[in-house]
Amino acid sequence: MRRTVSLLMLVPLLGATQTLSAALGITLMLGAVLGAFAICMSPLRDRLTGTRTLLASLTLAATLTSCADIVAQRWFLPWQQASALYIGLLALQCVALEYSGLFREPIAAIFKRCTLFAALMLLIGGLREILGHGSLGRGLSASWQGLVVFPEGLHLFTLVPGAFVLTGVLLAARQAWTRRHSVIKETHRP
Amino acid sequence: MNRSASVVTVVLLALVGVSATYVLQRSSAPQIASEQRLLDSRKLLDVLPSGYYDNQPLEQPLTLIDSSLRHSTLSGGYRATRSGQTVAVLLRSRSEGYAGTLELLIAIDANGRVLGVKTLEQRETPGLGGHIGEWPNSWLQAFIGKSRTEPTDAGWALKKDQGQFDQIAGATITSRAAVNAIHDALRYFDEHRALLLGNGQ
Repeated sequence: MRRTVSLLMLVPLLGATQTLSAALGITLMLGAVLGAFAICMSPLRDRLTGTRTLLASLTLAATLTSCADIVAQRWFLPWQQASALYIGLLALQCVALEYSGLFREPIAAIFKRCTLFAALMLLIGGLREILGHGSLGRGLSASWQGLVVFPEGLHLFTLVPGAFVLTGVLLAARQAWTRRHSVIKETHRP
Repeated sequence: MNRSASVVTVVLLALVGVSATYVLQRSSAPQIASEQRLLDSRKLLDVLPSGYYDNQPLEQPLTLIDSSLRHSTLSGGYRATRSGQTVAVLLRSRSEGYAGTLELLIAIDANGRVLGVKTLEQRETPGLGGHIGEWPNSWLQAFIGKSRTEPTDAGWALKKDQGQFDQIAGATITSRAAVNAIHDALRYFDEHRALLLGNGQ
């Protein structure tokens, strides 16, 4: 189950992070929907059982996601049109996270995980924008054109496969880092 | 909690969810529609330089007669005015590209010169003819300032066809379709100048 959930979280991580502003948008929306979902589900969780919990969480997730989608259409239409697919998927993530038991963990652990995921989203969004478009922060505000790092970027990183490659490189870097700091000095064998 | 109470809870939750979504949708529909219109008009009208017009061209579509041209069909037109004077006419032209319909928006000023060309829809090969869909587009910028008489009819073709325009690399059919569509639109403008410019001129 945990594996399925991680795979499901990979979808917005790779798909909805073309730029820092897109990543920020989907992260904020995920945070708002998940937060509201967790709050609304907490009184229901103990009272319902089995299929009825599933039904309740489905209805709740669908309601919250459609409301968030409408709000996004009303105030952030250009961004909404670019990320509509991933906004619709938020409902599925809510239900999957509910079933993986994330919300039954202590609140500090939930908070830590969500913060880590949000940081990862923003990191990937920022790196993809720098590598793919050569700029950072474009579209965050109407008056600021963003920080230009290179005049032109690598087109690959604006596409989903580029995000996949980038995620792989980040994972490898993390592996190398943790291994270097945790490996016990090899002892010579006689 | 017993069975019926939990069923009631779920039903209640569903009702609240549906009605909340419905109310929110109903109350934001007008704003969303106006946002959408603004976005559409910005997408169409960035073919004109900003500050070139002061009306809402999309609010006043032109009715076109005989819109079936030699190589293309005109599917619509708009008039951009500045203080009552027509400064530009926008023509939507549809023609057959390499892989499907190619829809261009061609802006022509009151003297019959091209002000800008923008691709609205295309299904050309990505990486070759697909470059025509990019915006801003350096290849389409080559048409700015051209008119029906300058170059002459023979010049309105690709260099490969003894004309004077470069083609998009590897996309002869797409380029030819675009050149012909723009030439068609200019010819149409010349023939229907009075109707298109209206009484403001």
